[in-house]
Amino acid sequence: MTDASVFDELPGDLMIWVLIISELLVFGAGLAAFMAVRITDPEGFGLAQDALHRTSAGINTVVLVTSGALAALALRLREGARRGAARLALIGAALLGVVFLVIKGAEYAGKAAEGIGWDTHPFFTFYYLLTGFHAAHVVAGVIVLLLVAWQDAPRNIEAGAAFWHMVDLVWVLLFPVIYLLR
Amino acid sequence: MLNDPLLRAWAALIGLSLGSTLLALGVLPPGLTVLSGVLILALAWLKARVILARYLGLADAPFWRRGFEMSLAGFCLLLLGLYLAPGLG
Repeated sequence: MTDASVFDELPGDLMIWVLIISELLVFGAGLAAFMAVRITDPEGFGLAQDALHRTSAGINTVVLVTSGALAALALRLREGARRGAARLALIGAALLGVVFLVIKGAEYAGKAAEGIGWDTHPFFTFYYLLTGFHAAHVVAGVIVLLLVAWQDAPRNIEAGAAFWHMVDLVWVLLFPVIYLLR
Repeated sequence: MLNDPLLRAWAALIGLSLGSTLLALGVLPPGLTVLSGVLILALAWLKARVILARYLGLADAPFWRRGFEMSLAGFCLLLLGLYLAPGLG
């Protein structure tokens, strides 16, 4: 198999995969650093983690993976020349992204009301850094989904949906490490 | 209805997410916290595999699918080692 055929195998544009790998490396380094710092104070990290609302983060996981399914469905619909349905699926995916952000915002507001800030404990430094950076990607993803619903060439939708799936992929790794591992 | 691979992937992701949340909420006895952590990381890897294969379309690109899965497995093993490290001291 030649190099060209290997790259041809990749779905979508090569550059979106460069972006996906770059983002995975950045978040992966952050999560590994989080786990490495946890070694110095596992009890403190456990107590800090107990202040998080695991159920709402679990609901946000359901919201995001459902949104991802809608984005994947949109590409399939567009390739089947069902433009209206594809646009609706993309708008639905974007709206679920907004739901994710609302739940995340409520979580941050709850922490602020409890007097918990980024400097309360190293756990929360990583928590705000990693979940905040991810939320920034969700904001970008919502904008991208709406853009490709407007400029709905299949190639655009494929790239936009791939970006959104990257956001999804990061969350399914971030969620268990920050919220669940005790 | 679950013949559709996309719908199957979505259902699998929901099931795996519920499974990991239940594990964290303490369905296993308190003495099995470490096992619960190992299972949570394994479920995270499985979720990532589903997203790569079905959402990102790597099911049709076996070379890349294998590469991503092995890299993510290595990363999850690194996280597992760091997770277990405090208990080894």
